[in-house]
Amino acid sequence: MNPNPQHLTTDEIELWAQGLLPAARALHLTDCSLCRTEADRERKIILELVQLPRFAPAPGFADRVMAQVQVPTSGV
Amino acid sequence: MVSWAKQGHEAAFRELVRRYERPVFSLLYRMVRDRALAEDLAQETFIKVLNGLTSYRPEFKFSSWIFKIANNAAIDHLRRRSLDTLSLDGSPSASTPEQMQATALQLGDRAESPLQHVENRELGSAIERAIARLRPEYRSCIMLRHVEGYSYEEIAETLELPLGTVKTYIHRARNELRVYLDDRRD
Repeated sequence: MNPNPQHLTTDEIELWAQGLLPAARALHLTDCSLCRTEADRERKIILELVQLPRFAPAPGFADRVMAQVQVPTSGV
Repeated sequence: MVSWAKQGHEAAFRELVRRYERPVFSLLYRMVRDRALAEDLAQETFIKVLNGLTSYRPEFKFSSWIFKIANNAAIDHLRRRSLDTLSLDGSPSASTPEQMQATALQLGDRAESPLQHVENRELGSAIERAIARLRPEYRSCIMLRHVEGYSYEEIAETLELPLGTVKTYIHRARNELRVYLDDRRD
């Protein structure tokens, strides 16, 4: 028997994909293949996104920025 | 760090650049998909932020402020670029086949430059190519959400969008990404 027949919302699926959905609500996934399929697909894409790397600008970036920044006169 | 910079410590300015150069550059690079251009826009962002520190309001998260300026720079650039788009078939005023050929863009006969090689390596994966197909406003929302780990509320504040719009953009973006990636796998 379905412990909670109400389908998961998009927000709940995102919480589940991050491991943050309360266990009582996550139980719904054990009985609802519709939500389970949707949740699995969502988790897969979120995992790909959170693993995206950060890129670095070319070396010397800070120097190029600082060459055009006006540092206020130190009041110390 | 910001208040230290406001007091005129150059080391604090440099520390702010060091902390945020990768997140800001990554957002811009994924928005415009051109390393040199992303670097120009990142430089423009930092110069604007650091020269305008006196107008920074501490109740606003510093990272949100810098992302807001970076995102605006990217969106402005993309809008200008879409206005400047040339037809592959040549000038709109060309009326004969000869004129069309003379003014048409020539593509595909140039070797890949070292910079293009780096860009293809960095942004060539299926997920990066799928992200590139998203509308720019979806792209910035999805980057802030999943690469920077921002909450929906923080994204709404940073991009000055209603919370409901941010949620809609992110859900639609993920759906579109799934469709693009499913197409690739089929």
